[in-house]
Amino acid sequence: MPLEKLKALQLIKFKKIVQWAYDHSRFHRQLYTEAGLEPGDIKTFEDIAKVPKVEKAMMRDIQRKDPFPYGDALCVPLEKVTEFHQTSGTTGQAVYQPDTWQDWEWWSEAWSYIMYAQGFRDTDRIFIPFGYNIFVAYWAGHYGGEKMGCEVVPGGVLDTKARILKMQELKATAMMATPTYVLGMADVARRELGLDPAKDLNISKILCAGEPGASLPATKKRMEEAWGAKVYDHVGATEIGAWAYECTVQPGGPHVNEALFLVEIEDIETGEIITEPGRQGKLIITAFDREAQPCVRFDSKDIAEWAAEPCPCGRTFRWIQGGVVGRADDITKVKGVLLAPSAIEEVVRSFPELSDEFEVIVTKKGDVDDITLKVELVPEAADRKEEVEARLVDQLRLKTNLRYNLEFHAYNTLPRYLIKARRFKDLRKRH
Amino acid sequence: MVDKDLVAKMDEKIQAIKKAALELKELSGGIQAVDRNADRILASVKMLEINVSDVIEIWE
Repeated sequence: MPLEKLKALQLIKFKKIVQWAYDHSRFHRQLYTEAGLEPGDIKTFEDIAKVPKVEKAMMRDIQRKDPFPYGDALCVPLEKVTEFHQTSGTTGQAVYQPDTWQDWEWWSEAWSYIMYAQGFRDTDRIFIPFGYNIFVAYWAGHYGGEKMGCEVVPGGVLDTKARILKMQELKATAMMATPTYVLGMADVARRELGLDPAKDLNISKILCAGEPGASLPATKKRMEEAWGAKVYDHVGATEIGAWAYECTVQPGGPHVNEALFLVEIEDIETGEIITEPGRQGKLIITAFDREAQPCVRFDSKDIAEWAAEPCPCGRTFRWIQGGVVGRADDITKVKGVLLAPSAIEEVVRSFPELSDEFEVIVTKKGDVDDITLKVELVPEAADRKEEVEARLVDQLRLKTNLRYNLEFHAYNTLPRYLIKARRFKDLRKRH
Repeated sequence: MVDKDLVAKMDEKIQAIKKAALELKELSGGIQAVDRNADRILASVKMLEINVSDVIEIWE
């Protein structure tokens, strides 16, 4: 669909969701009323920017109100809610997410878009090594897979070794996991089972979520080499939905699902909406069709930029160059230099002599910031510490403009994570 | 490229399914086995509307 037509459709759908939220949620009605806005005031695409944004911190306040436990952004009677999930709480108190059955069908639909674009078909047997807990990601992947007609194997309560053996036994063709766990499983397969996932298992596609790793070239390369599989990223959030995905062409970033979502990129300094390619800004996202707890102009804090060229895959949905490159609230100043933790990951993962794990700790010594990077040498490179260290110092200075205290730890002694890793620890606020 | 007539025809069928599911719920008089399955049909119908019916609004 040409962009102009798409924008016309998006405007119609945006007006509908604003009207729905205004009519059914006390929170949204008050938010809009205080901004002097009524749904009828939105007449053009440019008017969309007049609608107040919603931030995660506001959701936390809302959920202290009635009806318990969701608060007054809830747009349906409680008895219509059929699904409970919550955010991981990575950036603070977790936010609860209610969904109706229709919303849940919508989640599966959004994941079906992702999976079809990544080549999943009804011949795939997908193994999901996920805890089937209160986090939404792979529940939605599971139901999306079913909707696609795939055979879905729930790898819930099994431990990592049992999961690997079950994948081997069933000749699973695809799996879904966080980049941290994809690498962790490969490590366990090699070290504890004597298996090479690229040769001894049958996985051809891996769909990642939960962390930016699949969009970081060095991390993606590690995963693809370890598994002998194509690794695809998707971007989503519990409060928003699964809003972007890579296609099989992988032009260098994910397509925005512009049928289900409106993604605006906002200049962080001026608040201006950026429409041209090549300028980074913060993503403001609306889900058009989510009824229980609408997501209207949600300030995702994710940083990205529009790509200039259309994707050769033929999809007319726009794509974002390089994926989500960071979060506005993750980017922090260390020694006066702006630092995105993903830049450190990109450097560490580009060293085959280093293991998959690392840890960054920022503290304050007096008035001066101090940053430590802990890494592990893989056993095959154990005698090359000096040489690796010298190259690592150079690369870190080149890519992040910072000098680090480097600590080399024995292989397999840094913490291993099953879901989302917490490798960046800023301890300065405690001082 | 899908043409407008085809989309319009698909939308007619989608609306017919929606009408039938809503009528089924009215007829059921609260029979759980009917209501819960009709509700699931309606959720799927909504996805068809998102993918097909909504597009008609901007088709010239």
